[in-house]
Amino acid sequence: MDERPESGLVEEAARGGREAFAELVRRHERRVYGVVRRMAGDPADADDLAQEVFLTAWKAIGSFRGGSSFYTWLYRIAVNASLTHLKKKGREGHRAAFDENALAEGPAGGAPEDPAGSSETVELRRRVDEAVGRLPGHFRAAFALVVDQGLSHADAARALGCSENTVSWRMHKARKILREGLRPYLEEDRS
Amino acid sequence: MRCAEAERRLSDGLDGTLAPRIEARLEAHLASCPSCRACRDGLVRLQASAGRPVERSSEYWAGFESRLEEKLDALGSGRAGEARSSFPARRRWAFAAASVLVLAAAGVWFVLARRGSEAGPAWAYSVDGLAPLMEEADDDPGLAGDLDRVVRASLDELGPAVDVEAAALAAADPFFWESLTDAELGAIASGLEKDPGLGGPK
Repeated sequence: MDERPESGLVEEAARGGREAFAELVRRHERRVYGVVRRMAGDPADADDLAQEVFLTAWKAIGSFRGGSSFYTWLYRIAVNASLTHLKKKGREGHRAAFDENALAEGPAGGAPEDPAGSSETVELRRRVDEAVGRLPGHFRAAFALVVDQGLSHADAARALGCSENTVSWRMHKARKILREGLRPYLEEDRS
Repeated sequence: MRCAEAERRLSDGLDGTLAPRIEARLEAHLASCPSCRACRDGLVRLQASAGRPVERSSEYWAGFESRLEEKLDALGSGRAGEARSSFPARRRWAFAAASVLVLAAAGVWFVLARRGSEAGPAWAYSVDGLAPLMEEADDDPGLAGDLDRVVRASLDELGPAVDVEAAALAAADPFFWESLTDAELGAIASGLEKDPGLGGPK
């Protein structure tokens, strides 16, 4: 395993070092894929987007100044590419409003990827994935970075190009929408 | 603390951003509010049901890296290396290109996007002025084509030292603009202020 510090790899890649860039790709491809997969939903689209993210990063890495973490910078490319993708596909209009009834209508199809756990747990995960996929793009992006990727509000704000308060508000709204739509499945005990 | 605030704070709490003082107030509220406790339990369950990594096989990643390598090869590694061989030199032409691109974008903005309106020069103080133009260009192929033509023509005027393709690529990337220092952006804004055609002194 290549143990060179990331800053050195970035500098080398910025000078045209393909091997250094390949190492950066290996270090971050899973996280980038996780973000674009959450954003796009479809695995094939996610694959294309992840490739696009790294191609964009290669072209623009000379402009990366290290003011933030490299992965934050990559996340920002990933989110922007995903939002552009969603816009092009015209999904935003359909997903702008969370449709509670759509959840009750059942799954859109496809088996859950993670067979681990009880069928109830798997079912809830699938419901959550579907519901997150119906969130408006900016809410979905915040959710992907904070919940899926575990970023702090500060890092997510850098990646999303907004303030920490905006991230906080988007997360609150996203959770509120999800909770309302998934209430029957979350089995909230109101006693 | 009221329930509405508690719900908002619960979200921050799950993300680990609550100040201890507010966390204590939240806990006090939860102790006396079954509804908010149920809300917290639901959010915790929601959190636990998301946030797991997407698993792909090692074969997938090998293929992913291989396809990416092919695309990078197709881009032309020689040119990329050349463009990045001297950072200070790159910065110089990037700054020159940035100035021209802002001017070009401003021209297009005024001529095409704001025809007939009375836009003041205030937008020039910030790169935010470019964002709506680029967003509009996303949805308007005509505007995108005009923008591209003007930008490339402006870059051509800079002479052979500028790699037009690379500069256009950089200009289309928001990170390029973010990479400019306040001083560089200020210099660009000053240049715009001096141009009577772009809202400067008549």
